[in-house]
Amino acid sequence: MSLIRTEKVCKSFGSLRVLKNVDMHVDEGEVVCIIGPSGAGKSTFLRSLNQLETINSGKIFIDEELFLHREHNATVEKISPEKYKSLLLEMGMVFQSFNLFPHKTVLQNVTLAPINVKKVSKADAEKKAHEVINMVGLGDKINQYPSQLSGGQQQRVAIARALAMEPKIMLFDEPTSALDPELVGEVLGVMKKLAESGMTMLVVTHEMAFARDVADRVLFMADGGIAEEGSPDVLFKNPKNPRTQQFLARVLNRD
Amino acid sequence: MLKKIKGWFYPVTKKLIIILAVVAVVLSSVIILAATKPSINTVDSRISTELKESSGKMYAQATLDFGIFNAVRGQNVKNGKTETYIGIAGDTKKVDDIWAEPFADIVFWMPQLLDGAGTTIKLTITSVTVGIFLSIFLALGKISKFAVLRWPCSAYIFFFRGTPLLMQLFFIYFGLPLINPAMAIQDRFLAAFIAFTLNTAAYVAEIIRAGIQSISKGQFEASKALGLSYAQTMSIIIIPQSIRRLLPPVANEFIMVLKDASLVSMIALSDLTHATRTISNSSSTVLVYIPAMIIYLIITAVFNYIFNKLEKRFSVYE
Ligand SMILES: Nc1ncnc2c1ncn2[C@@H]1O[C@H](COP(=O)(O)OP(=O)(O)OP(=O)(O)O)[C@@H](O)[C@H]1O
Ligand SMILES: [Mg+2]
Repeated sequence: MSLIRTEKVCKSFGSLRVLKNVDMHVDEGEVVCIIGPSGAGKSTFLRSLNQLETINSGKIFIDEELFLHREHNATVEKISPEKYKSLLLEMGMVFQSFNLFPHKTVLQNVTLAPINVKKVSKADAEKKAHEVINMVGLGDKINQYPSQLSGGQQQRVAIARALAMEPKIMLFDEPTSALDPELVGEVLGVMKKLAESGMTMLVVTHEMAFARDVADRVLFMADGGIAEEGSPDVLFKNPKNPRTQQFLARVLNRD
Repeated sequence: MLKKIKGWFYPVTKKLIIILAVVAVVLSSVIILAATKPSINTVDSRISTELKESSGKMYAQATLDFGIFNAVRGQNVKNGKTETYIGIAGDTKKVDDIWAEPFADIVFWMPQLLDGAGTTIKLTITSVTVGIFLSIFLALGKISKFAVLRWPCSAYIFFFRGTPLLMQLFFIYFGLPLINPAMAIQDRFLAAFIAFTLNTAAYVAEIIRAGIQSISKGQFEASKALGLSYAQTMSIIIIPQSIRRLLPPVANEFIMVLKDASLVSMIALSDLTHATRTISNSSSTVLVYIPAMIIYLIITAVFNYIFNKLEKRFSVYE
């Protein structure tokens, strides 16, 4: 069963066509990594899924239910606001720049959305928060403000914050790109642990080693479309598309 | 947890003991002085019959009760000759010292100055408070994605920032009754309050708009991704973060309004500046400017103090 499926998703910024008929799916329990050169449209695609960008046309299904259907820059099939919200909340998002709320403590960052959006009681929200904060290994930082944490710790809090909403799928947009090299490992470690726990994940990343080790499937995105996809073994060892070969040669040599 | 308890039970420190001791001494001296001051009549009886009789109808008298002392001044308006007596601690003293006289003058001006200062402070605090309230809606309107909100709010802000406050004040007080007598605002303070509130709202709206737009886009995106509504995003995430950045410019606006409040003398409302000028004219003295300016500086200092405290409070997380 696919948790996310897109059909012919198109997105332009002005005259710049960034996404060109993107068809893809992520199945339940799957870890899918998206790799590709800068400007390929990876972030735009991820942001289109959870409505941070509005697509021009295409269909998005969440959990096999229609979430969005647009043609010619207008929504064709309207769904009820409740349904829209519940499907939106099936996706949790982790940003490159963490985007923690600086005026809230770690605990408040994590409980804020469950309390205000899901209307969970404060006690239940805090119980859940302790669970996810311990899962990312920051149980001792619970009353700190984000400014008191390292970048790696902040990103782990951001992961906990998304997890507290109990999403079915986690979207990561280059979660380690803003980190100092020595802090990358702790974040990837948490993500690996999350993958092992069975979480469905869609990860845009430049960390080829992570994609190779953790992904079930890798999508290579170039020029607004998915140019090639396959298991990491096949894609990394035997890329067919010349653009994939070129890209991998460049990034793997650099490592 | 510990932090909270500390806030509630103020620890008994040396500083606290000293403060309490000073307060106790001041309080008891005030009580003793108040109880022992000679009555107004006693002080009044010291004014020479000579002065009273020689001036006849041109005799003017001022009596003041300052709690800890009574003061009486008799004046022959014709020749300006005055006699001033202060009754304090069971004793009545004549003020005829070249050094003491200016102080006696200031003491006698004080009620009028404080009255003016009261108007100034009242106008500043009420109009800035209500103005800030209005400005939040104006700012949100100006950054709204809906043109029907954006347009009028932008126009309002442009208009009130782009025309002189004095002209707005004149329009409201003198202009409106000309359009329709029913629109006349009789109460001068009310007219000034309306003009100042509308004007401040425009200035603060622009401050708030800049504050909100200085918050990174990522904060909006994270809120949206977590399912927060626009109202929740604004009230829980964006506005609390902007408050700290807003405080210094809002404090500045407060002080600007405090000083602009002197414009109300143009509609014959007696604020501190107006009172100062009145006294200066009637007594042909420049001395009155000194206590008046000191009062302005004290008000400004108090505002600054409050805003500094607020700023500290709102920056705990930095
Ligand atoms: N808000 C925007 N307005 C205009 N153009 C945009 C906007 N966002 C992205 N683009 C453009 O869309 C293209 C794809 O951008 P996107 O951020 O999706 O690339 P990416 O694959 O994530 O690249 P990177 O690896 O550098 O993050 C780029 O050419 C970018 O300049
Ligand atoms: Mg990107």
